[in-house]
Amino acid sequence: MATREIISTGNDLAAMAAVDAGCRFFGGYPITPSSEVMHTISDLLPQQGGTAIQMEDEIAGVACAIGASMSGVRSMTATSGPGISLKAENLGLAQMAEVPLVVVNVMRGGPSTGLPTRVSQGDVAQAKNPSHGDYQSITLCAGNLAECYTETVRAFNLADRFMQPVFVLLDETIGHMHGKADVPELEEIKAGIKPRKEFTGDPKDYKPYGVAQDEPAVLNPMFKGYRYHFTGLHHDANGFPTEEIGTCKRLIERLFNKVRDHQDEIDSYEEFMMDDAEFLLIAYGSVSLAAKETIKQLRDQGIKAGLFRPITLWPSPAKRIKHWTDKIDKVLCVELNQGQYLDEIQRASGRLDIEGLFKVNGRAISPYEITEKIKEMI
Amino acid sequence: MSKTIKNLKQFSTANERFEGAHLLCPGCAHSMIVRELMNCTEDNLVLSTNTGCLEVSTAVYPYTSWDSSWIHIGFENAATAVAGAEAMYNAKKRKGTLPNPDAPVKFVAFGGDGSTYDIGFQWLSGAVERGHDFTYICLDNEVYANTGGQRSSSTPIGASTTTSPAGRVSYGEKKMKKDIVGIMGAHGAPYVAQVAPNKWKDMVKKLQKSLETEGPCFINAMSACTTEWKFDPKDTISVSDVAVDSLVFPLYEIIDGKELNITYRPKNILPVRDYLGIQGRFKHLFKPENQHVIEQWQKDVDARWEYLQRREEARV
Repeated sequence: MATREIISTGNDLAAMAAVDAGCRFFGGYPITPSSEVMHTISDLLPQQGGTAIQMEDEIAGVACAIGASMSGVRSMTATSGPGISLKAENLGLAQMAEVPLVVVNVMRGGPSTGLPTRVSQGDVAQAKNPSHGDYQSITLCAGNLAECYTETVRAFNLADRFMQPVFVLLDETIGHMHGKADVPELEEIKAGIKPRKEFTGDPKDYKPYGVAQDEPAVLNPMFKGYRYHFTGLHHDANGFPTEEIGTCKRLIERLFNKVRDHQDEIDSYEEFMMDDAEFLLIAYGSVSLAAKETIKQLRDQGIKAGLFRPITLWPSPAKRIKHWTDKIDKVLCVELNQGQYLDEIQRASGRLDIEGLFKVNGRAISPYEITEKIKEMI
Repeated sequence: MSKTIKNLKQFSTANERFEGAHLLCPGCAHSMIVRELMNCTEDNLVLSTNTGCLEVSTAVYPYTSWDSSWIHIGFENAATAVAGAEAMYNAKKRKGTLPNPDAPVKFVAFGGDGSTYDIGFQWLSGAVERGHDFTYICLDNEVYANTGGQRSSSTPIGASTTTSPAGRVSYGEKKMKKDIVGIMGAHGAPYVAQVAPNKWKDMVKKLQKSLETEGPCFINAMSACTTEWKFDPKDTISVSDVAVDSLVFPLYEIIDGKELNITYRPKNILPVRDYLGIQGRFKHLFKPENQHVIEQWQKDVDARWEYLQRREEARV
């Protein structure tokens, strides 16, 4: 695979990836630590004939991206935790009406205004269910600079494939990290773009939500003569509101099935020095950088540790997690929150004895701290 | 009760209720405006502040600049928070459960232009419509200065910001700023005014008037931003002088949504060009291809001044 080298920051790489992946609309609002995504994309998009609008608030930022997406354009918004809280209602609408959208969240300390300039992974649980109601979200988490680029590209393809918002979680450390990223050649990115499905038959036969029970809706772009009803209410095959018991049940089940029945297309994880590992570390995002350093240091001391790093956080790679937790006795999950993903690891593994190492003071975790904890456990 | 401030000596030596040791940029006009608001009255103050420069710079653990009750709330809700405090105060007063019911209390909310013109506008409008007895002060520096200098709907035409950058294809922001004073006047609020810190007598008089007026009052305070307007920190007041004398920031008040009074008429009206020329954010406008933007500016300012004068005369 041919690669090219970009020297930049995580936030800028996410913006570049969006433009390369065919994103032509951005709606956003200033918020630390994600504003650079908006700065960079408002420079890049007009050069490609695209549009970047700074809206009057976070809610408007996501709402206009939903509107743009419905006209068939790949659309994105970027924010941080407080912004997601404000956007939540519209994110639920996009799940219900099945509007593809990429939402970049550069995580900072919370809740509320929290620690605006400091790192956190406190929005992992929020990304699973940001709004009220029942649906299966898709959340990707970049663990290094290159992934800020590649995971953003993948998010656009997944959004169009599954017709729903896809989260890209960065954290303040990754977002503001400056360095070298090896990313695929532009031709390769362009060749990998899979546009969303479109119905091409007689407009009379067009039923956007009348699809198989494990498939996403087929929403033709506006302005093309295919009429349908768009609503956040429970709806039938044409999109019209309904309270018919069977239709309501099938709709919500389909929102889950369309993702869960195709999880092999979504799963993504990294296994680092796992072949002979006797101690399992689980970490994601910027924490995985410290975890890898820890593992190298431990191996110099004869301790065979390995890292399992989920890249797709939701739906979680539960089978693979269980595979490793069945095999390895000592397991430690390291996070910059109070164990939001540890809950999922315990659920997937069926083991409540898995331990966590948490840090919630806005500072990154160091290899030294992880090493200390591991030595305690051995 | 309003304090009597007769001369500059009294003005500068008034007992401080807003501590000067804060982390606002040197030359920031925010502190001048907030200081005068707090120093112009003897009454107890209940204050709330939207997220923004003022909030992050005046309460850095373990210090605070605020010698009064002070609430920091989300980006959009200062008006809402102070409305809640005011409603509860009145309820307690009615029930007779206030320990000191005769002590005069004033409710004041602060917001920047981002949180006033944009994200907090709905909340401000609601609080004014409900008629709470409070004063809302917008510290208008025409930019999101706290998050990296993005445009707001207060940013004027031609300004280069991080999200309206000037360059080969763009001369920066494309729209004139939103007329927030007119909009708040249209709410029928009992007192609405525009102030500038360089005209301190006018400013203090209006601040005192807004505190003494019963009902929701709105003050739009020009706050020259040394960092984002790009001028030397020592020039804050002289830049403000040019802003006022070029009529870019006309000083006036609207009473009960009807009667408009112009409170300052410059003896020599300066061209807008003079105002644009002293700020880095407008530097690119002086290129030959951008002359039309300066002309547009001047036309808009002239039209606005004409409108204000005619409205003042009409006494409607």
